Amino acid sequence: MQTKFKLPEFFQRQVSEPLLLECKADLDPEGCFGEQWIAVSEEKLVVWHRDEAPRLTLPLAEIKDARAVSAVGGGSLHIDTDFGPVVAVRYTAALIPMFDYAAKLIKAAAHSEELPVLSERDLPRSCPQCGNPLDEGMQVCAQCMNKGKLAIRMLRYAKPYKLQMVIAGVLLILTTLVELIPPYLTKIMIDDVLGAARQSTRLLAVIGGLGLTTLVMAAMQAVRGLIGIWVGSKLMGDFRKDIFSALMKLSLAFFDRRQTTQFIGRVNNDAEAMRQFLTDGVIYVIGQLLRFVAVLFILFSLDWKLTLFALIPVPFMVLLSMKIWPKIGRLAYQQWRSILRLNMLVGDSLQGIRVVKAFGRERTEMSRYEQTNTEVVHNNLRMEGMWQFIFPVFSLVTGAGTLLIWYHGGHKVLEGTLQLGTLMALLSYLGMLFGPLEWIQQMINWTSTAMAAAYRVFEVLDTVPEVMDVHEPVPIGTIKGDVAFTKVTYGYEKHNPVLKEIDLQVKSGEMIGLVGHSGAGKSTFINLLCRFYDTDEGSISIDGIPIRSISQTDLRKQIGVVLQETFLFEGSIAENIAYAKPEATPEEIMRAAKIANAHDFIVRMPDGYDTQVGERGHKLSGGEKQRVAIARAVIHDPRILILDEATASVDTETERQIQEAIARLVHGRTTFAIAHRLSTLRNADRLVVLDKGRINEVGTHEELVKIPGGIYRKLVEAQQELSKIKGVEV
Amino acid sequence: MKDPYEIRILPPAAVNLKRGAGGVLGGKVENTHYEELTVYRTFPFRFDEEYISVRNAKGEELGIIRELAELEQDSREELRRELQYRYFLPRVNRIVSVKFKSDLWLWDLKTHLGPTRLAMRNLQDYVQLHSGGRVILSDISGKRCQITDWRSLDGHSRKWLEDTL
Repeated sequence: MQTKFKLPEFFQRQVSEPLLLECKADLDPEGCFGEQWIAVSEEKLVVWHRDEAPRLTLPLAEIKDARAVSAVGGGSLHIDTDFGPVVAVRYTAALIPMFDYAAKLIKAAAHSEELPVLSERDLPRSCPQCGNPLDEGMQVCAQCMNKGKLAIRMLRYAKPYKLQMVIAGVLLILTTLVELIPPYLTKIMIDDVLGAARQSTRLLAVIGGLGLTTLVMAAMQAVRGLIGIWVGSKLMGDFRKDIFSALMKLSLAFFDRRQTTQFIGRVNNDAEAMRQFLTDGVIYVIGQLLRFVAVLFILFSLDWKLTLFALIPVPFMVLLSMKIWPKIGRLAYQQWRSILRLNMLVGDSLQGIRVVKAFGRERTEMSRYEQTNTEVVHNNLRMEGMWQFIFPVFSLVTGAGTLLIWYHGGHKVLEGTLQLGTLMALLSYLGMLFGPLEWIQQMINWTSTAMAAAYRVFEVLDTVPEVMDVHEPVPIGTIKGDVAFTKVTYGYEKHNPVLKEIDLQVKSGEMIGLVGHSGAGKSTFINLLCRFYDTDEGSISIDGIPIRSISQTDLRKQIGVVLQETFLFEGSIAENIAYAKPEATPEEIMRAAKIANAHDFIVRMPDGYDTQVGERGHKLSGGEKQRVAIARAVIHDPRILILDEATASVDTETERQIQEAIARLVHGRTTFAIAHRLSTLRNADRLVVLDKGRINEVGTHEELVKIPGGIYRKLVEAQQELSKIKGVEV
Repeated sequence: MKDPYEIRILPPAAVNLKRGAGGVLGGKVENTHYEELTVYRTFPFRFDEEYISVRNAKGEELGIIRELAELEQDSREELRRELQYRYFLPRVNRIVSVKFKSDLWLWDLKTHLGPTRLAMRNLQDYVQLHSGGRVILSDISGKRCQITDWRSLDGHSRKWLEDTL
């Protein structure tokens, strides 16, 4: 994969060989914003600044090493040559990943090694159209996206509710038209009925007409409202369902790159914004537009000269709306932020109350609070003040328009060229005309929020899971549990492998302990076995079948996991134990808990197996949670078992109980166990020592401690030292 | 024997900084020549030119320069330049505009290193207010700019800043 930069033509001409790399740095040699170009071929490295002649040319043969040296807010590419280090280019933080890659490539090219592969994440993320930085995973920024296409795609969600939407639309048009009747009836009333003598029957007719329109209007509004709510709730449900199921289907790699919390908001807020656009937004905007045109038409047909007068304030209204609403938005945001700061301050001080008290800093905290509090009060005043100000200003402008009509219309009535009723009708219609203008900026705002939300939602919906099932997966049934790793290489970033050429044959029923410093690749090993990620090179097979050709559901049925961070779902303990097998009988659940040494403590709790756990439920201790998790694995009855630091951070007695439970669980299953405390691995048949992504030593505890200078031996010695200090036996 | 737990303040005379032919900062520190030296501001916001940590290419600290001004002229200039390279934190001279467009805050700025544009997703995480009127602006891509003292900006820029913050 190439960087998306293309070397300018006149630089390109200077290098005859094919290029391995061409890219642009965003700082000039003096460290100011500017640009420099860098190209690497099999022969040399060339850097250009503004001039056509290169600023720097280095034959690859002279290059010993290339390093991307990170600084603050940027970095520089250093090339080590026989004559000392050379700064090739400097760049800002946005380009750090790309130049990390560039340094690796230059080094590999200079040493004639295999070139690293560029992954998309190394490239600067910016919108191809406007150049603004992009969020992870987005292709075009929210500003440049094709709004029409998005709107159409959103509207497609309304398709199942076509009938209701059409009815709502027709009702909308009807209400708009009916709304226009009352002022006209008023005109008739004043001019033709009240003006003339003995017209009581006509008076009744007109009043009847007025009453009828009011009634029809009320009824139609109610029906339309109901349809709106019905369709809205259904749509909202559809959106949420789609987003959540898309999230569940995605591979782990997608979540590694993003903060999980952002999705919680995404599922609800974005769905709500889209719903609002589809039901309220579309209907409201179309309705207002329709009314605007209709009112304008009637006004002109009543008296076009007067109407022109009345329209004088319109540009002012639009201008005011465009100015005032963004200002309100900013003020509201400011206020929200100052309240957020205040809340954070309270949270901080209360969580750290022991520190505050211990150092006697109550007064400082109080004055800090006071300061932020004043800010909130100040912002509140500004915000609320602004609100009090908006509507009077709008009515002032509208009032000015009305005054103009009264003045000119009044004259005309006095002259007898205009009927009083027409004037009254004109005034009523004018009010209808101005109403929506006050909100014009708000409407634009809502639409753009909805578009941005839709964009984010569709981004998730469109992401293809990286780990895909093959077309026709091999049915595996119940497996024996032989596992084989063949030359497995994997990196979360492709050019930076975490595991390198791992070869390992594990017989069914064997227990393997994975040992190594943190970052050695132990967890990655496990993640690959579960097929949370696909290997970059090599393959993993179970009973001789490559796991890529097994469906993920089948595979995970055979694999059970007990993690260090035990996660319990909202629900009872029984439900949590039976998570993988909801149809488990109470006896099965108890049996599993018994094996996991959990039965006794569960029964002792007042609510027994029905104790509610999770966020809001009963808080189990770390050791208790782990035993529940072991019971969960027992009932799952997997052929392959993964234990990730299952006994971290518990006291000795609990550890013994967990150990016992694990020993029973492990029996007869192929097991992979990770532990920092080597004592937990004493039952392992073989220990695999990983170091910097490679298998370094394999053997039993006894064999490995005998290797002089071996990594395992050092780890054991270090732990013995530590436990001497603690006064505990390993 | 040096105490490894002691902060070493380098006497100004013991530091002689030079830029190598390749543009990398090097020089002599306490009679040892280094081809490559890295410098760190220990208090990047409070002190621009004081308490500079000098390290070798491996990142081991050789000592602290208490005050840049105490060095002799050549070293002083080289150090100042290197700090500018390493701490890429352009000073904002003028805020041209701040706009909010579909979920992004776009800041058009003129800095002492040229014009630039920052894009922020929100203000509470990307704008930090420090004591002494200093404002640090950061960008989605990690780029940062600083306003040394917002009170000393021109009226146009202050208006944008006040409107936004």
